[in-house]
Amino acid sequence: MEILSVKNVKKHFGGVKAVDGCSIRIETGTVMGLIGPNGAGKTTLFNLISGFEKGSGEITFKGMRTDKLPPFKIARCGMVRTFQIPRALSKMTVLENLLLAPKAQHGERIWNVWLRRKSVQMQENTIKEKSREILEFFEISHLEDEYAGALSGGQKKLLEMARAIAIDPSLMMLDEPFAGVNPTLARKITGYIDELREGGMTFFIIEHDIPAITKISDKITVMSEGKVLTEGTPDEIRSNPDVLNVYLGGEG
Amino acid sequence: MTGLTGSAGCFDAILPYIVTILLISSIYAIFALGLNLEWGFTGLLNFGHVAFFAIGAYTTVLLDLWGCPLVLSIIAGVALAGFFGFLLGIPTLRLRADYLAIVTIGFSEVLRFILLNEEWLTRGPFGVYGFERPFQDVIPYQYYNTFLLILYVAILVAIYASLERLMHSPWGRVLKSIREDESVPSALGKNVFWYKIQSLMLGSAIAGLAGALLAFYLQYVSPATFKPIETFHAWIIIILGGTASNRGTIVGALILWTFFSGTKFISRLVPLESHQMGAFRMIVIGLLLMLLMMYKPEGIFGKKEELALSD
Ligand SMILES: Nc1ncnc2c1ncn2[C@@H]1O[C@H](COP(=O)(O)OP(=O)(O)OP(=O)(O)O)[C@@H](O)[C@H]1O
Ligand SMILES: [Mg+2]
Repeated sequence: MEILSVKNVKKHFGGVKAVDGCSIRIETGTVMGLIGPNGAGKTTLFNLISGFEKGSGEITFKGMRTDKLPPFKIARCGMVRTFQIPRALSKMTVLENLLLAPKAQHGERIWNVWLRRKSVQMQENTIKEKSREILEFFEISHLEDEYAGALSGGQKKLLEMARAIAIDPSLMMLDEPFAGVNPTLARKITGYIDELREGGMTFFIIEHDIPAITKISDKITVMSEGKVLTEGTPDEIRSNPDVLNVYLGGEG
Repeated sequence: MTGLTGSAGCFDAILPYIVTILLISSIYAIFALGLNLEWGFTGLLNFGHVAFFAIGAYTTVLLDLWGCPLVLSIIAGVALAGFFGFLLGIPTLRLRADYLAIVTIGFSEVLRFILLNEEWLTRGPFGVYGFERPFQDVIPYQYYNTFLLILYVAILVAIYASLERLMHSPWGRVLKSIREDESVPSALGKNVFWYKIQSLMLGSAIAGLAGALLAFYLQYVSPATFKPIETFHAWIIIILGGTASNRGTIVGALILWTFFSGTKFISRLVPLESHQMGAFRMIVIGLLLMLLMMYKPEGIFGKKEELALSD
């Protein structure tokens, strides 16, 4: 079953055709990689899918048209995306950054802060526990009380990912998750993604780290100049002469 | 013996003065707590906070004069101030932050002209007086200000405690995340627009309550009571106290009004006309704020670490 379907999506910025008629389908419970040269339109495509940019074309998520919906409504359907340049909530602590994520918190309704004190508190404790586990996994739990703005670039990247996981989405879109992350941890994250996928989560991952992305992806889409160049299994992509030409060069 | 009565007399003379300072400080503390919720915790730029102060004050006293029970008049003033926060938020809060600033500053001036010119409703430039004050028949006149002070401090404490509770709740967490970078809560499925509306409504309602309290204290309101400078008094208070600190806001209000009253006191000793003195006070305030920005830019209760943070 497909969870996401993108049909002929376009986004132009003045004369720049950032995304120029892309169509992609992603099956539930798979990992789709997205690669392509700088400026190929990968991040813009993510912005379109998550609702942060509006363009033309059709986007269907879990059988529902989402291309006209605002980002928060799309997120509520179970899609979460990370940002290429991590967006830490600087003046909030690392733990608070994670506590923000879970959906449908009782205490997010102003009257519940008074009317349902107990359930708010209980839910808060559960969320805290779960958030700490996630921080533990990303090896930043010792920083839980630090301001997020005080983290290093790589740590912010981890926080960004941790926050996305904390919402427990059905589709997770990661924009260069391994950029700036140390190799050991990157391997650990790869393993975690595998684990989550086994559990039914779907991934859509932009990455320039070719060994990493070929290792975790079931399929890879290659973009170039706003268009989908080709799509296939990692092996197919590696041996595709067009891809070698525009992106992989000698590396493949 | 004479010394004792002398100092007691001096104390008697100074006590009402202190009560006055504390009263006006507590009113402005409440007023500024509303702005601190909007700016300090949510990042909303409201440059017309005084409008909600005025709406609360005028609604309360006019309804009272038309025979509405006092409590209901106050509730109506608070609700109407909140409702106008809602109305101004709807068109502006989806846009960039400066739109709210422009619209609120415009609204506060338009409102003041309405108060000045729609005499059938607002009694125009001469203002409104002769309205009822809470428990005025029960409390002897000479103790009335002391009574008001106790009442206002109780209200201030209640509002402070409620705001602290809210800010430490998941609701407050969403507000703070909006202040930091609203694309993050959006990506996590939070309805940022709706939270901003709630913050603006609540902040405005609090300003409305402060307006009612101001009216009872002054026993008189007029369009001149609600000049744009009042908005900036609230801003000075939260900058002094430290943005996003409710405690700082209260202390900031106390400092500002002690200073204002102190300079009024001094003005009897220096050869300046009253309007010159007014300008002189603002110059001193400006200088003090500059010094604060240089040596303690986070404000009195602000967190220094926060200033150094980058995104
Ligand atoms: N907001 C914008 N305004 C104008 N042009 C934009 C905007 N966002 C993206 N672009 C342009 O669209 C093109 C695609 O950008 P995009 O960020 O999608 O590339 P990318 O594939 O993610 O590249 P990278 O691998 O470097 O992250 C670029 O030429 C970029 O300059
Ligand atoms: Mg990109």
